[in-house]
Amino acid sequence: MADPAGAPCVEVVDLHKRFGALEVLRGVSFAVDRGSVVSIIGASGSGKSTLLRCINYLEQPTSGEVRIDGEPIGIERRADGSERRRSMREIGRFRRDLGMVFQQFNLWPHLTVLGNVVEAPIRVRGLPRRQAMELARACLERVQLSEKSSEYPARLSGGQQQRVAIARALAMQPKVMLFDEATSSLDPELTGEVLEVMRGLAVDGTTMIVVTHEMGFAREVSDRVIFLHGGLIEEEGPPAQVFGTPRSERCRQFLAKLLH
Amino acid sequence: MSENLRQMLDLGLFWEYRSILLAGLAFNFYVFAASASAAIVLGFLAALARVNPLRPLRWLGAVHVETFRNAPDYVMLVWVHFVMPLLIGQAIGMRVTFAPFVSAVIALGLVYSGYLAETFRTGMQAVPRGQIEAARACGMGGVLVMRRIILPQAVRMMLPEAMNNFVSLFKATTIVSLITVPDLMYRVQMVTQQEMRPLPLYTGAALTYFVLIWAVAALARAGSERWRRKIWA
Amino acid sequence: MGNWERLVWNQRNVLLDGFLVTLEICAIAFAVAVAAGLGLALLRLYVRPLRWPAIMWIEYCRATPIYVQLMWVNYVWPEILGWPTTFYTAGWVALALQSSGYLAETFRTGIENIGRGQREAAYAVGMSPLLTFRRIILPQVLVTIAPSIVTQFTVIVKSSTLVSVITVQDLMFQSQRLVNVWFEPIEILTATAAIYILFIFAVSAAGKALADRLRLRYGLGT
Repeated sequence: MADPAGAPCVEVVDLHKRFGALEVLRGVSFAVDRGSVVSIIGASGSGKSTLLRCINYLEQPTSGEVRIDGEPIGIERRADGSERRRSMREIGRFRRDLGMVFQQFNLWPHLTVLGNVVEAPIRVRGLPRRQAMELARACLERVQLSEKSSEYPARLSGGQQQRVAIARALAMQPKVMLFDEATSSLDPELTGEVLEVMRGLAVDGTTMIVVTHEMGFAREVSDRVIFLHGGLIEEEGPPAQVFGTPRSERCRQFLAKLLH
Repeated sequence: MSENLRQMLDLGLFWEYRSILLAGLAFNFYVFAASASAAIVLGFLAALARVNPLRPLRWLGAVHVETFRNAPDYVMLVWVHFVMPLLIGQAIGMRVTFAPFVSAVIALGLVYSGYLAETFRTGMQAVPRGQIEAARACGMGGVLVMRRIILPQAVRMMLPEAMNNFVSLFKATTIVSLITVPDLMYRVQMVTQQEMRPLPLYTGAALTYFVLIWAVAALARAGSERWRRKIWA
Repeated sequence: MGNWERLVWNQRNVLLDGFLVTLEICAIAFAVAVAAGLGLALLRLYVRPLRWPAIMWIEYCRATPIYVQLMWVNYVWPEILGWPTTFYTAGWVALALQSSGYLAETFRTGIENIGRGQREAAYAVGMSPLLTFRRIILPQVLVTIAPSIVTQFTVIVKSSTLVSVITVQDLMFQSQRLVNVWFEPIEILTATAAIYILFIFAVSAAGKALADRLRLRYGLGT
């Protein structure tokens, strides 16, 4: 049994992902400490989103593993040293600890805002209805959407929908929040409100892994930045270093292109 | 000819036999209710098979759907009534017969399970992939995703088409008279043989079915449309 | 297998005759239904005084079960109109009647979905309304609704099994006659069902292929 106190919150070890002949991730390893924010940047096609989707097993990694508090998600190691692949049901239990926010929001249109947020706490975590409602209201409060709780998602703006999606993920009280380009499908004038909410979470000490195109946000909020290229980590370090004095030529080019 | 026209519009004879005929119409509803229930259950299972990751199950679902969706109602009715009992009898080594009502329910249930399966499948597949991923990311398992995320939306999306299927099924119940289920058409034929006046009777039957089906179809359309719109506004 | 040979294969000429009658009556009904459907749609859309009668007639054809309509045409029409005089005619008239209602609605939505701009562009180059309809609107409508028209043909084939009830000698009639001769329904009825299912499946598949090809060629959604 791993010691949760000593292990990092999330640990990615030599992760590979292959789609047919295409190898999207070619051995990625990194760790995220409790309470820290890690941003993952890189050109489209560099494997950022795949990496995030592998972390909560929406994509099954081809090899390598992901550990939450030292416990591998996909495999169980028994005391006698033998290994066993976990079932979907078991993986589902780990997913509760990983809150995911999607680029396309993916709110459930047949449920109200409040319904979207209480659904998983009631059905998955089995909280009593009353307690789940309280929790959901608190989460909506955090994204400043309390007054919209009885609306249906279709009546909200994109920014509001994404904030609901964040509240939905928070309501599972996850150990880590994963953001998959959370602002990329929003109109520019709506990204601000979502980034503001994310900034608030970071300040409160939420552990976060953020795939993003918002370099300003990554620079300001992250404790560490990872630059992914061709399925490998090309550059990694504190934001001041990655944005200020990148050692990798490719990282420098990528950043230079963004600035123009 | 004007005498004939007067006779056609004079539905007095139809009215005279109303209690017998109404009892026949009730049989249309019994057959409808029983075969619709069967078709819903079977159709749902077939649709689940068609979207299943297991290839043999998908294939089985496809064979079910293509067989029954392409079978004429009347051919299935005759086949189920005259062939199915013999096959079962051969298999268990006993003489088996089906009551006409049972044959009618099996035949229509099978045929319309094919149509409904396609309707269900289209509805389920219309739920965007991302929503299912979001549910999985919240730790929901397959059954929960189906019950709480896919089905509530699929039902709303497929409702208008399912209503069409049910209207067709109700229309198809008129052929059960051909294997002597005593429905409205069966009784119209009996009364016709007695009175020798087909005109008012068949016209009355046609009008009755028309008004009934037209009204129900219009109501169902309006109802399902409103329900849909309420949610997605 | 002996039964199959004796009851089905050796009777293939009878079954084939029946199948040809099925094809024939369906073809006639289909042709009449397409023409009548187009006519009804045009009346509904463009002939003001006949709009409501057309709607009523379309709704009547759509909402009445085919078997009821067949009986109605077969027993009631001859007494009032003196026509149809044969069972065969009554058969295709009833089949055409029902499908014309459905096709009228298909044509109507097809016509209504053609953008106003198409018409205006035709008028702008000096085309008359009639020419515009014939050369610009109708071809586009036919392309978009072709798959639905094929589907309607399969509906006619399914419904056509009922004309055996009024003694039209189609496949269903012949197969039931064979059953009454031999009293051995298993093979004959199973073969008959298989013929119908395969035939209708083939027509549907052809319709689907047609839809895909049209979509590819014209970039139209169906």
